[in-house]
Parts: sequence; structure tokens; C-alpha cells
Amino acid sequence: MIQTISTSHYLILAAALFCLGMLGVLIRRNALVVFMCIELMLNATNLTFLAFARERGDDLGHLSAFFIIAVAAAEAAVGLAIVISVFRARGTVNIEEIQSMKH
Amino acid sequence: MIIPHFTLNDFLPVMPVGVLMAAAIVLMLSEVFLTSTTRTYQAIIAALASIVAGGIAVNNAFEPARLVLQGYAVLDPFSSWTTAMVCLGTFLAVLLSAGFLKHRNAERGEFYALMLFAAAGMSLLSLSAEFITLFINLEVLSVATYALTAFLRRGPRPSEAGFKYFILGAFAAALLLYGAALIYGATGATKLVEVSAALPAAFAKSPALVYAGLGLVLAGFAFKVAAVPFHMWTPDVYEGAPTPVTALMSAGVKAAAFVAMVRTFLFLVKGIDPVIPFTVFSLLALLTMVGGNLLALPQRNVKRMLAYSSIAHAGYMLLGVAALFAPKLVEAGAKVGVLTATPLTGTAQDVSVAVYKGLLFYILGYTVTSLGAFGTISALERREDETRGNTWDLERFAGLAQRKPGWAAAMALFMLSLGGVPPTVGFLGKLFLFSAAVDAGLLGLAIVGVLSSVIGVYFYLRVVVYMFMRPAPIDAPAPFRHWTTELALVTSAVLVVGLGILPGTITEWFSRVGMVFGH
Repeated sequence: MIQTISTSHYLILAAALFCLGMLGVLIRRNALVVFMCIELMLNATNLTFLAFARERGDDLGHLSAFFIIAVAAAEAAVGLAIVISVFRARGTVNIEEIQSMKH
Repeated sequence: MIIPHFTLNDFLPVMPVGVLMAAAIVLMLSEVFLTSTTRTYQAIIAALASIVAGGIAVNNAFEPARLVLQGYAVLDPFSSWTTAMVCLGTFLAVLLSAGFLKHRNAERGEFYALMLFAAAGMSLLSLSAEFITLFINLEVLSVATYALTAFLRRGPRPSEAGFKYFILGAFAAALLLYGAALIYGATGATKLVEVSAALPAAFAKSPALVYAGLGLVLAGFAFKVAAVPFHMWTPDVYEGAPTPVTALMSAGVKAAAFVAMVRTFLFLVKGIDPVIPFTVFSLLALLTMVGGNLLALPQRNVKRMLAYSSIAHAGYMLLGVAALFAPKLVEAGAKVGVLTATPLTGTAQDVSVAVYKGLLFYILGYTVTSLGAFGTISALERREDETRGNTWDLERFAGLAQRKPGWAAAMALFMLSLGGVPPTVGFLGKLFLFSAAVDAGLLGLAIVGVLSSVIGVYFYLRVVVYMFMRPAPIDAPAPFRHWTTELALVTSAVLVVGLGILPGTITEWFSRVGMVFGH
């Protein structure tokens, strides 16, 4: 049955995940959920790279996925540190309450 | 695929980055092993490293354009000059930070290390010629700037700014990366040269995939250069970040992202109808120029005004980018419209040389001016004001000319340069860029650019009026004094006037043929 899953299935799944992540960044209010949505977008990208690599039978996509995972980890470290410093300064991670600057 | 095998010689062209990285690591380690209370020496190490790196980059700028690092990067005068300007910006930002941090008792070695890492990321970004390399360099630069933005942990603003910058920066990077993944799917390559060769066939096979990929990559870059309508994050981040960091972001980060965008899209428009990229970039330029200036108009907060002004300046640079993508052959007799191209007056070769010169000179001018302007602001702000939220109000500048004539004169100079008034570098930059755009046939758009920069003169001159014509309030703050801050401001001021009066050989260096690899 595995053979019936084609590249386009993977691509559609990845596109759906990416859109979910994008929507989440735009509409969710909890900083940590927004943060997870960004990770979701990056993982959708990984899935796209891997699906294309599998179809083409070359290693470039696999290699890219490894680099993306490493960079995402580094980014997550700094991002979480910033979320913690926001929480310490305000006692909340609700994005709507993080609006101290005038427009 | 063949796993690349790099030798030491492959890395010689990226020596400037090596110097920046090495200095950053030395600074990190010195923080561990040395327990000195004063850290001005760390600022000096960082400043020296950026001078050395900048010097090597200038030297590299006279080498012929070629692919280096086995096709993963490009060494051409365009990227080398960008590296040199990034190093200049870092040098000035480091000097500004030394006084700024000492004043707030927040001097830490990792600050300078992060600045150097960010500078290394910017330099590498400008010469990346492969999507994954581009993404990693973008993240090296971004992660360092996220941390720098949230560096002052006291008070809610820096962490808020850092958080917003992080979310939107990571969002933009994800968009760019997903676009790259789709382009990889369509062409089977991530090196720009190979992508460019495979694009016409890919267009014929799966146009939707390629268009989606190009659109996402463009959106990612548009966030990074803060083009309208992707600019929402800019004012809050620029306002909340420590002022020397804001200066580095407005100059270096933006320049590097611009150069990377130009390089990427010069490769990615093969096989596409030339009208599409031209229209898209023209539209972005139009919205960004007009939007940035109009949004800056009501701002009384000078730092926020400069943030919007940096959006407007990105718009002028986008005008140059649009000129690069102007259709080279337009039918004679086309009407002049805002978004249409009129026939070229010069040959296509001349025009692109003029545009590269205009872009580079504009970036140079904006780098020294904005570093100077943000630097003056950083010296005037006081920590006590931060809780009251009026740190950067126009009133803070009232009567500065009587209290500190030198500071007021410098700030006035930077404001005039931002507004594009002669004899400053800002005027020459606009002159080169707008005349190149007119040569490329963008008459309508260039007129809009000039008109919108006239709006800009209003809010720049308002600062000058406050400094010279309003009486000083009784509790007016005195700027703190630190020799590094003064050195940075004097250097910027000298460069603003010097380059404005005698651009000299620099314009020749910027207008050599073979500026950009492959074009």
C-alpha cells in the first residue's frame, strides 16, 4: 500500500501544515503557540524538501533538511529565551497584552 | 550528488568574515577568562576587527567577479563593497555601543561578540549564491540581532521588541525557505547558477510551482528589507531595541538583505515574462516610498520617525532595484505612467552600471547618515525617561543648539542628509539613484520618489527647527560624554559632508563594469 502514496500527497500535506502554521502565527494570541506554529512552518518546509528529494532520488533535499533542523534548533533557543524575558518583564505571554509602544 | 570537498584556498575569498568570526570568538572567551571591570577594550577589539575586515573587503573589491566556495558563494565587487559598508556600519555601531552600554552599566562582552556575528552574517548574506547557504546566513544574522534587540533586559520594551522581531523574522525566514523548497522541487537545484539554468524548462513544466516559489522568496525578502506592506514590525522593533542596535539594523541588516535580494532575483527571473518582476518591484517601490514618508509624518517620537524614515529609504533603494529589472527593450512612444517604463535613453549595459553605482552609493550614504542620527539620539536619551515613555519626544531636542551646539550641528547635518539636501551624501545618493532610474526609463516612478522625499524634508527639518528655534526646557538632559561615542559621531559627520562634496574615486570604484557576477 505504501506505493500508492505519491509525492503529491506529501506535498499537499506539507502545504496544509505550512498554511496551518502561517494562520497560527497570524491569529493565535499565546506567544508559545505562535512559536510552535513557526516550527510547524519550518517542518512543513523540511517535508517539502524531503518529498522532492525522494521523487528525484538525489541527496540535496535530505542535506537541506538536516541544515534546517540545526538552524531551527538554534533559533528556538534564542526565541525561548526571549519569551522568558518577556514573561519576566510582564508576567504574561499573551501577545495582545504585549503592546506598550504607541503607534 | 557530489559532496563538496573544501580546501583552505576555498575560504580565502571570505577572509573578512573569518576575521569578524575570530574576533567574536576571542571576545566570547575573554568574557570567560578575564574579570576586568571595564570593557571598553572589548569595544576596541571589535572596532579594530571590523576595520581589518573592511580593509580586506575593499581589497577584494578589485578582484574579478567569480564563483567561490565551489559555487556556494559569489565574490564580486558588489558583495565586497557591501561587506566593506557592513564593516563600516559595525565599526560605528560598536563605538556608539561602548558609551551607550557604559552609561547604562550594561557592558557585557557578548554584546560585541553578537554584533560581530551579526556583521559576519550580513557579509556572508551578500555573497550567498545557494538557497541553503542563503538561509543559514540569514539566520546567523537574524539570531544575533534578535538577541541584541532584547539585550537590555531591564524594562519591558527591549524584550517586547525582541519578541516581535523574532516572530516576524522567523516567519519571513520560513516563507523564504518554503519558496526555496518549491523552487528546488521545480528545478532540482539549490545553487542559484543551476536554478537559473533550469528555470526556463521548469516554467514550461510546472509554472504554478515556480510562481509560488518566487512569490514566497520575494515575500521573505520584503519582510527583511521592510518594504510596505511587509513593514509592520519595523517601528516597534526599531523603537524598542537599544539605539546602537537599531542603527546597525537600519544600516547593515537592510543593506545585506537588499544585496541578497538583488542577487537572488537577478538569477531567478530567467524564463519569466520580464514585465512581471518589473511591475512587482515597481509596485513595492511605490508603496514603500510613499507609505514610509506618509507614516513618518505624524510622528513626534524621533526614534520612531527615523524607523519610518528607514522604510522610506528602503523604498528609494527598491526604486533602484526596479530599474534593474526594467524591460530592456520597450516599444518607442510608450506613455509615461507611474508604473510603466519609457524607452531607454542609454544602452542596457550603461544603465545597469549606473544603477549599481546608485544603489551602492545610496547604501553607503544611508549607512553613515543613519548611524550618525541614531548615534546622536542614543547619546541624548536617559534611562529615567524610559518608564515615562517620552524618551525620544521632539521636546527632548528643544534648544539643543544653545546647550550643545556641536551635537545640534551634527544632528542637523544628519537630518539634512536624510532629507537629501546638498551638500550632503544623502543628496548625492538620491541624485545618482534617481538619475539611474530615469535612464532606465522609470520616469513616473522617479517623479513620485522625488515628490515623496519632499514630504520627508518636512519631518526631518522639524527636528532641526526644534533644536535651533525652541527654548530649552529647564530639566533638559545633557548628553552623556564618552570618547568612543564622540569619535563615532565625528566620523559619521565627516563622512556625510566629505562624501557629499568630494565623492571622488568612490563613484568610479562603484561604477566599474563586471560589478555583479553573471550580469
